[in-house]
Amino acid sequence: MIDVQHLTKTYGSFKAVDEFCFRVDPGEVVGLIGPNGAGKTSTLRCIVGIQSPSAGTISVGGHDIVNAPVEAKRLLAFMADEPQLFEYLTVMEHLRLTARLYRVRDAEARARDLLAELQLTGKEQALPAELSRGMKQKVAIACGLLHEPKALLFDEPLTGLDPLGIRHMKETIVARGRRGAAVIVSSHLLHLVEEICTRIVIIDHGRKVADATLAELKAHPELAAAGSSLEQIFLTATAGEP
Amino acid sequence: MVGAFLYLTVCAFKNRLRRRLQRLREPRYVIGLVIGLLYFYYFFFRRSARRSTSADVSAIAAIAGPLQFLGSLFLMAAAVIAWVWPAGRPPLPFTRPEVQFLFTAPVTRRQLVHYMLWRSQVAILIASAIATLFLRPGSLAGGWTLMVGLWVVLMTVRLHLMGVALRRLSLASHGASGFARQWLPLAVVLGAVGVLAGTVISARPALASLADGEAVFRELQRLAGQGAAAVVLWPFRALVRLPAAASAAAFWPALPSALGLLALNYLWVLRSDAAFEEASAEHAEQQAHTRAAPRAVVKGTAATPFTLAPDGPPETAILWKNLILIGRYLSLRTVLRLLPLVVVFGVLARNAAAGGAAAFIGAMSLPLAAMAVLVGPQMMRNDLRQDLARLPLLKTWPMRGSTLVRGEVLAPTVVVTGVAWLFLLVAAVVGAGLRPGALETIASGAPRASLFAAAFVLAPAVILSQVVAQNGLAVLFPAWVSVGTSRARGIDAMGQRLLMLAGMLLTLLVSLVPGAIAAAAFAFLAYQVTGMVLILLPAVVAALVVAGECWLAVECLGRVLDRTDPSAVEATE
Repeated sequence: MIDVQHLTKTYGSFKAVDEFCFRVDPGEVVGLIGPNGAGKTSTLRCIVGIQSPSAGTISVGGHDIVNAPVEAKRLLAFMADEPQLFEYLTVMEHLRLTARLYRVRDAEARARDLLAELQLTGKEQALPAELSRGMKQKVAIACGLLHEPKALLFDEPLTGLDPLGIRHMKETIVARGRRGAAVIVSSHLLHLVEEICTRIVIIDHGRKVADATLAELKAHPELAAAGSSLEQIFLTATAGEP
Repeated sequence: MVGAFLYLTVCAFKNRLRRRLQRLREPRYVIGLVIGLLYFYYFFFRRSARRSTSADVSAIAAIAGPLQFLGSLFLMAAAVIAWVWPAGRPPLPFTRPEVQFLFTAPVTRRQLVHYMLWRSQVAILIASAIATLFLRPGSLAGGWTLMVGLWVVLMTVRLHLMGVALRRLSLASHGASGFARQWLPLAVVLGAVGVLAGTVISARPALASLADGEAVFRELQRLAGQGAAAVVLWPFRALVRLPAAASAAAFWPALPSALGLLALNYLWVLRSDAAFEEASAEHAEQQAHTRAAPRAVVKGTAATPFTLAPDGPPETAILWKNLILIGRYLSLRTVLRLLPLVVVFGVLARNAAAGGAAAFIGAMSLPLAAMAVLVGPQMMRNDLRQDLARLPLLKTWPMRGSTLVRGEVLAPTVVVTGVAWLFLLVAAVVGAGLRPGALETIASGAPRASLFAAAFVLAPAVILSQVVAQNGLAVLFPAWVSVGTSRARGIDAMGQRLLMLAGMLLTLLVSLVPGAIAAAAFAFLAYQVTGMVLILLPAVVAALVVAGECWLAVECLGRVLDRTDPSAVEATE
């Protein structure tokens, strides 16, 4: 569903992402992890078309994000770490706008279901200024899920959520994967990645340093000595710990 | 500690400058800079170079008296307002990072005050320099005395306002006793106002007998220079004398008293015991919140302009969204801001009108319609000028850049056209009140109905072309256009806006030329064939040509937007 080939992204002379290749199939939940400045957010922003790749190709559902952006974006949903909402639209109006942009039929019914799923029932007429950060995050996620995207990208999805919200968010992500969506979760919360991801991609200095299931990583000859936790594997793979 | 504060101030200034210089890697900004420098050269240096020094000195000397009188009154009014009318801002408006770093550091209150004074130097020095350029003294000597004089005045005003706010905060922290002690400064301020008012009232019979306004002004100036009024105005006059000095010979004698006032205010601020930290921290939080969501205070969730159907072109969805924006923000304050303009136009129109309410309204509506067409697109910013701040979100939407631009320009065009049409309709309906011959001068002998119909057709085209030009500038020069709801401050930002305005007007003129040529050609051909002077049909042709140009421009802008990296659109400082 998501196919990234030789992705390179440069900012001036700085190479944020360097010849990065990976793919995510339907039903997979891939954890994209790496140290600060490793190139995770740049990769996600290139996949969803916010930024243009300096080199390489990205296709979503067979549509190239550069040459056929509209078709590719129709299949995508990107949940940024900082929820981007229009301060003058209510929760329901955000969903109506999204429904129209993505041509969602029976949007009202779906919107109500999503609001219930994300514990936002009763907040339909609320403006973003009246919502907590966690609720804004949920609104952004509801907008992202409204058109039943085939590919979902989450950048730090648990930021600002309360314990119950975290639990529901994990369930939401896993449920989308089970329904056949290709999901990428970028997070520094390694226990989250360990818990919900079916595969893990580790990126460091813009380059891929590992791409395997947790079991495969544990069995990897160079990483086996690190121990059984993803944290130990991550630190060894990114040379954060000798 | 002074070293640390100086380091912070210099680094902040240096890095801001470096950030702006980094933009010059892109050729479009180099072109913009060259145009800006040429503008400044012609308007500031070239024109001042043409003027003779002796003429300047004598000209300034001739107006020094009135200048000092008006300047001292202005400064006194500012001081009175500061004392009587509490400011909403805290005495020391620190930013959030400053609160984070400095309030937690082992720094005394006095040192924090010093830091704020250091920090304000950059803005005060730039303001003094730019004001000196604007006023264009004829010589280098005149330049430096004016700049130093302005710096002393601005610095003293800054210190005084800071002192007033600190004093107020200090009194408030002392509870009821503080409130009781507040009567003394207020009594002094009101007493000073009373002295001036008493002087004018006692001289009222003499003033009433004077022939004209100029004589009254001269008499008031004379009264302000003698007796109790002279004593009350002395500190303000002593300050104004410095920048108003026509020569170095007039500057040096004025310097000691002005510097003395500056020093007194400085010592007063330093002696303050006000605990400003809490108010400053609270203000910093509010500012940070306002920047993150500049218009958090939305005026309720009023009904949407229309029901958004689940299916249809995405442009309609963007129009719907941007129309909601207007409805949610239109406040009484917005309406009140327009009131002075309406009053000015009303007075002008009333003078032109033959008489009667209908005539007054009719005469007033036409200039208001013209104002809506020409100024409306700049005021109505519910388009990409707002939404570019959210470019990362917009880029995830499944639509081409041209679709997005098309949708964005619709809302301001629709709203401003509605306003212009409303005024045109009023003018057409109560047109009897228009001064006879006013319209006939535009097209002699043409029926009034044809002229109004042509105006109805042309208005949306002219508005659309301006809105497209405004959005085009935002897309092409995102770092030079105020994006979002906040505005960049400073003289350089003002220069950028001037440049953008000039570019917009030029683009508008260029865009209207093909339409005008096509309309003229059509009218000429029609006249050759029918022998009639047509008004409406050429207007339709012109409108169609302009609309076609706008369509092409939107397609081009869409391609640029598709390639625009969100990092090119920086938040306004």
